[in-house]
Amino acid sequence: MLKQASTVGARNGRPRTISAGQQALKWISPAGIVLIFVFGYSLISLFTQSFRYDGKWVAFENFTLVLTDPLFQTALKHNFYLLFTVPVMVFLAFLLAVTLFETRRGMSFYRAAVFLPYVLPIPVVAVVFGQIYQLRGALNIFLTAIGLDGLAQDWLGEPKIALGTMASVILWKEVGFGVILLLAHIISLPSEVFEASRIDGAGFFRVHWSITRPQIMNTIVFFSVIEAITMVSWVFNYVYVMSNGLGGPGDSTLVSELYIYRSAFSNKAPELAAAAAVCLFLCTLLLVVAFFRIQRRSISGTFGR
Amino acid sequence: MNSRKNFIIGTAVLALLLTACSSSSKDVSTAKKITFPTEDLTLNISWWGEQEAPGATKWLEETMALYHKEHPNVTLKQVLQTTEGLVPAFEAAAAAGAGPDIQYFWGGIYAQQPGWDGHIAPISDYLDAEELSHYINAGVEEGYQGKIWTAPWYVNPSFPLLVRKDILEKNGLTTPANWDELMKVCDVLSKKKITTIAGGVKDGWFGGWIYSILGGQSVQSQKDVINAVVGNTSFTDPEHAGWWVKLAESKTHKCWNDDINSLELYQAQQRFVDGKAAMTITAGPDAPNFAKKAGGDSNVTIMAMPAWSDGPMAGKMGTTSQTLGITKWSKYPQVAADFIKFGHTAERLNAWYKLTGSMPADDRFDLTQVESQSTKALFESAISGAPYLENFIPAQLDAEAVFKNVQLILKGSVTPEAAAADMQAQMERLRKTDRKLVDNFTAWSK
Repeated sequence: MLKQASTVGARNGRPRTISAGQQALKWISPAGIVLIFVFGYSLISLFTQSFRYDGKWVAFENFTLVLTDPLFQTALKHNFYLLFTVPVMVFLAFLLAVTLFETRRGMSFYRAAVFLPYVLPIPVVAVVFGQIYQLRGALNIFLTAIGLDGLAQDWLGEPKIALGTMASVILWKEVGFGVILLLAHIISLPSEVFEASRIDGAGFFRVHWSITRPQIMNTIVFFSVIEAITMVSWVFNYVYVMSNGLGGPGDSTLVSELYIYRSAFSNKAPELAAAAAVCLFLCTLLLVVAFFRIQRRSISGTFGR
Repeated sequence: MNSRKNFIIGTAVLALLLTACSSSSKDVSTAKKITFPTEDLTLNISWWGEQEAPGATKWLEETMALYHKEHPNVTLKQVLQTTEGLVPAFEAAAAAGAGPDIQYFWGGIYAQQPGWDGHIAPISDYLDAEELSHYINAGVEEGYQGKIWTAPWYVNPSFPLLVRKDILEKNGLTTPANWDELMKVCDVLSKKKITTIAGGVKDGWFGGWIYSILGGQSVQSQKDVINAVVGNTSFTDPEHAGWWVKLAESKTHKCWNDDINSLELYQAQQRFVDGKAAMTITAGPDAPNFAKKAGGDSNVTIMAMPAWSDGPMAGKMGTTSQTLGITKWSKYPQVAADFIKFGHTAERLNAWYKLTGSMPADDRFDLTQVESQSTKALFESAISGAPYLENFIPAQLDAEAVFKNVQLILKGSVTPEAAAADMQAQMERLRKTDRKLVDNFTAWSK
């Protein structure tokens, strides 16, 4: 941690120093107060409810019930599997961003086309893909038409592949966000570095892997963490719409958010929902902490400190 | 002295008479005396049903308008919920303690649970016993310790198998009379790449239907199911697990459309109307409409699922009623009850049938106006039908064990034994997580 201190005033003839941490705290406190005001009550209620049943204190009983529930374990496992989509998404976003960066003509159009899925409402995307992925849907009709009928699958009806199918929809929709983020950063980089590397004989892949990538690492990390958080706690809409709220077939697409929703609203077990939500909150918190640590290390690395 | 004696005797006689009168009126009804408010008020209705009884919206709007005409100070508003949204929307309202005055509930457990949770007021507190005695299925499904939670609105014969005679005849087949004959029909039609029974389980609901019409065949009554719920018996016992074997058998005989897992229930049923499937299973209220679209009585047979067992409910049509309840937070429960009762007047009962083609849940409905013989038979079978099993298990068990395992069996991903074991495991777990379940179900079964 970079230690900085500043002299802010003098009392009794002695200058008072404030550490960088204290100074930062001062600056973020208004936003912090707003956050506490908005989320504080709900978080306290959530934690309180997770330790109660029917208004009575039950200690960790709800947590024991949730953590030993095979359905919750399955849901968490599926969230974990979805995390594997993140590296693929980051790689695709990077590839598309540098391709767009190198595109001389029609960049605005391509950029809009790539970003379009991200701005579409998730329920619309999920309904459309739900139709496309039916056994007699557009994808299988297309595959059959080009002679690849052997590849045709019951994409959302077959338990073994349903989660992967859903991941592909999430990937299609979210990658546009990454492209725009990375592209914005690439455009802002000094062009001399690219020109120098090209004069030195570096090709497309060499330039972007060795020159572009390290310079935009902060943004890559930021996008990775945002998407990791998405996969852990923000995929409810996709799953709910595409599986009609069931997380099926079987429980092949059940994720932790859907588990929480069902516990709270369908199964009338708000205390179990609260316990599961606390677990999910802690998982997300871990990711956020990891993000800050990686970001700090990344900044230190970039600036050689 | 005499006057004092007479006074004492007179008072005693009067007291006796009053006691007798009050106890006799208690026997007839526990309904509260209705004091109809005169101030302007609004009642909100949150409901479902257009999905299975097309025309219900029109009936409801008509009924609301007529009621407003009779009671100008009462304004009614209605919101039609989606299938997936009905229960969560009500749960959210209940959590907030504010929302609709009149709420739609499916029968059985779907009406019992809100009562147990204290979210609705018993309809029997506001409507007298004589009136409620005409509401079909009220006692069996909505009764709880002498009270009736909700008022049946319309009947859902559960669930009829619709058979297209033209497709069977074209392929040299006749309407199957039992399970083995049905399997033979499946064998013949599947070889010709014709779907025998069109269904869709992506949204799960069809799984519950299948459980009821197949699973109901091997139990003696709904009490057997409640016994398994509270833990006196097991869902792996033959009378509760046999239907999984029959479901798997139907998969082996290729009875269903191969995309059953990627279709929703209502999407799949359309194939029957389009002549692409020989049979389908529909919601009871919608069965006459489906039959009409597919050629009417001359072309369609409406029947119960062929029997695979010799249990008392095998081959018998199930019956359930969709209901309306009064929420605990409603400021005008007596007006809500009066509106529900208004829906049961002879003119409104006839209008229901005219607009939806289905049967109102009232035994005062005049069946002579039903011209179609198959529809009439369907209605009659629903009046004295078998209990609809899905309504006697916890909704969570339905969704997390029945819906789920039906999908997996129809995909060939689990064995019948594994499905039954999973259902039992889910039930055991549910008894731990829902710490009032056993008490509630035990009280319900009495």
